[in-house]
Amino acid sequence: MATTYDWGNIARNPKYLELKRKKRVFLFGWWAASSAFYFMLPVLSGYFPELFKMKIIGVVNFGYLFILSQFVAAFFVAFIYTRVANNQFDRLTDELVREIQ
Amino acid sequence: MLVKSLSALFLLLSLTTAAMAAEPVKSPVPSSQATSTPTAQQTGPSAASQPSAAKAVQPAQAASPGAPVKVKPNRAITITMFMAIIAVTLCVVVWAAKQTTSAADFYAAGGGITGFQNGWAIAGDYMSAASFLGMSGLISLYGIDGFMYAVGPMFSFIAILLVVAEPCRNAGKFTLGDILSFRAAPKTVRGVAAISTVTVSLFYLIAQMVGAGKLMQVLLDIPYRVSVIGVGVLMVGYVVFGGMKATTWVQIIKAGLLMTGTVLLAVLVMVKAGMNPISFFSDIVGSQMIQDHVRMNVLKDAIPKAGFDYGQRFLEPGLFLKNPLDQISLGIAWALGAAGLPHILMRFFTVPNAKEARKSIVVALFINSTFFFLINLIGFGAALYLTPQLISSVDKGGNMATLLLAQKLGGGAGSLGGDMFLAFICAVAFATILAVVSGLVLAASAAIAHDIYVNIIKGGKADQKAQVRTAKITSLCVGIIAIFMGLAAEKENVVALVALAFAVAASGNFPAVMLSLFWKRFNTAGIVGALVIGTVSAIGLVMVSPNMTYPQKIANDAKKVIETLEKKQAEGTVLAEKDMKALEKARGDFKKNDGGVSMVGLKAPLFPLKNPAIVSLPLGLLAAILFTLLFRDRRAEDMFDEIEVRQITGLGIAKASDH
Repeated sequence: MATTYDWGNIARNPKYLELKRKKRVFLFGWWAASSAFYFMLPVLSGYFPELFKMKIIGVVNFGYLFILSQFVAAFFVAFIYTRVANNQFDRLTDELVREIQ
Repeated sequence: MLVKSLSALFLLLSLTTAAMAAEPVKSPVPSSQATSTPTAQQTGPSAASQPSAAKAVQPAQAASPGAPVKVKPNRAITITMFMAIIAVTLCVVVWAAKQTTSAADFYAAGGGITGFQNGWAIAGDYMSAASFLGMSGLISLYGIDGFMYAVGPMFSFIAILLVVAEPCRNAGKFTLGDILSFRAAPKTVRGVAAISTVTVSLFYLIAQMVGAGKLMQVLLDIPYRVSVIGVGVLMVGYVVFGGMKATTWVQIIKAGLLMTGTVLLAVLVMVKAGMNPISFFSDIVGSQMIQDHVRMNVLKDAIPKAGFDYGQRFLEPGLFLKNPLDQISLGIAWALGAAGLPHILMRFFTVPNAKEARKSIVVALFINSTFFFLINLIGFGAALYLTPQLISSVDKGGNMATLLLAQKLGGGAGSLGGDMFLAFICAVAFATILAVVSGLVLAASAAIAHDIYVNIIKGGKADQKAQVRTAKITSLCVGIIAIFMGLAAEKENVVALVALAFAVAASGNFPAVMLSLFWKRFNTAGIVGALVIGTVSAIGLVMVSPNMTYPQKIANDAKKVIETLEKKQAEGTVLAEKDMKALEKARGDFKKNDGGVSMVGLKAPLFPLKNPAIVSLPLGLLAAILFTLLFRDRRAEDMFDEIEVRQITGLGIAKASDH
């Protein structure tokens, strides 16, 4: 490692604090929300099997569609995160790094 | 120079192994044994590895005495394809060996893998023989329950994407020990982290080796010993000579082949179904064979219940997964354990920065979701077009479903198309095994060479040459140990090992990594607490769980069979030959197992769940918090600013290429 930084000083930089807060709220918020949705699968299929048996399209039932919805949800979270990270977090990080160096 | 001569030696070795494989005459394998052993379900990091727990014990004992049907790949075509795969991967190794000169090259491919490439490699780590063969088999026998397993691996990417990959890339270097030892007592933490990594990777590796041995035994009709040694030699060769670069590229090639095979199969299924998914599922529900299978083999209703739709039942949960709590526990192991697996963690360091790490996870998520979705079509297609009866007659656990389907959709047994497609899918399964085991060897040897040798014994002061040499020697040793353990474990129930690897990663590694990155007060005592308590409780719970083999249970089951059949006899029925054989076998099983105890001396499981994470994760987490608060460490708290700034901004990131 070529350069050494004053870590404590950076940690008090207002730009850094803003980035840190934004990241934390976003990441842990989405993580919690998607976990809640994910754990609905074993909970609903295990404790509410009647719901999973409900036929929706022809013979295809709620359970099958709910599993597919998990795929859609994962795509959705990945998409949202990539957008926010590319547009917001990376930009804030670049600004901060430029200010320090 | 050295590399070249070793490459030549290695080439020779693997060719000899392959040549041995080509001579079935010398290998007297009883074919019935080969077909009735569970194969792929035991193997992988992937979905179907857990469900097999229940299945895998039984086939060995309850192998039906009737003459089993066999998968018969065309030897000439299959061996040609295997050789082609070996040849291509060896070229990759030779190419990678030339560029592997520093420790960063060996452990992290010099940071020269792009996010897109790394995404394919990570996806490859998830797509094991277990998911490719085992999960489709499970769907073909138990319907929607098999598909539910696909969600865990897919969801595990969310935790990795949001809170693990980028921070780890920013703050780490090569191994788990690098991340954890940042602001803690480095020697202690590295030591514990290395032991944990080696444990997890070896557990996993042995399960893979045994699965690989059994699968190759069936596919190529060669002895178990030869297939384990063959796979082992190739795996060691890839890692020792090519390091991370070769391992990654072998994984990428395999993932490409696997996706090609999967897409092709799924498209053929859909074409056969007239491209109409709704009528496809209607046909499944309406299939007389599937209805009979659900009624007689799964639900064991000798007389049909009036008005009960057995076909529709195939699309409803609960045929295979019976305990919701176990499901939740497995869900936790997946959601958090995958993020703590050392061989997955290592992959984040092969890309140059956090942005590429992010991209690689998104790519992996897309590839794997597509893969698991297609596997669901293949599994249901196998049920409809082959019938569950045929699939389970070839292999009780359903592991041969994908292979049989390839043969059928390619044009049927004996036709050129059928033989070609079957051989291709077999070769893909072979490549899959090779790629997955190589990654595991690399992770285990990195922990020993980088954490223990370089950083503990040498205090971080070893030149590049010595580091690479040590890493190669360790890889060789780990590989040899894995081969021997794979040979020794042939008859063992290795399924518990996969459950264990995930549980340890979720209960020990995951809290340690997360708290290191996000909790200011976290320190050496907390890390050691999390790793030790998480690991010990996970191992302890699995040892007393239903994953283990309980002779008394086998004896009791055998007793039931004996009683039923003897009652029949007493009533004056003359038993069919099949029933007589079953009776004889049950008597033998009863005699052998009655009064027996499991490995830890139990007659019945103490802990009711197969997956311990629901208990062991809170224990690991609690230990981490408690030990941290009991032994405060000012230095760790003072250094938190540094690790936090690093993980958030990427400042001072370890450039895998400069030293």
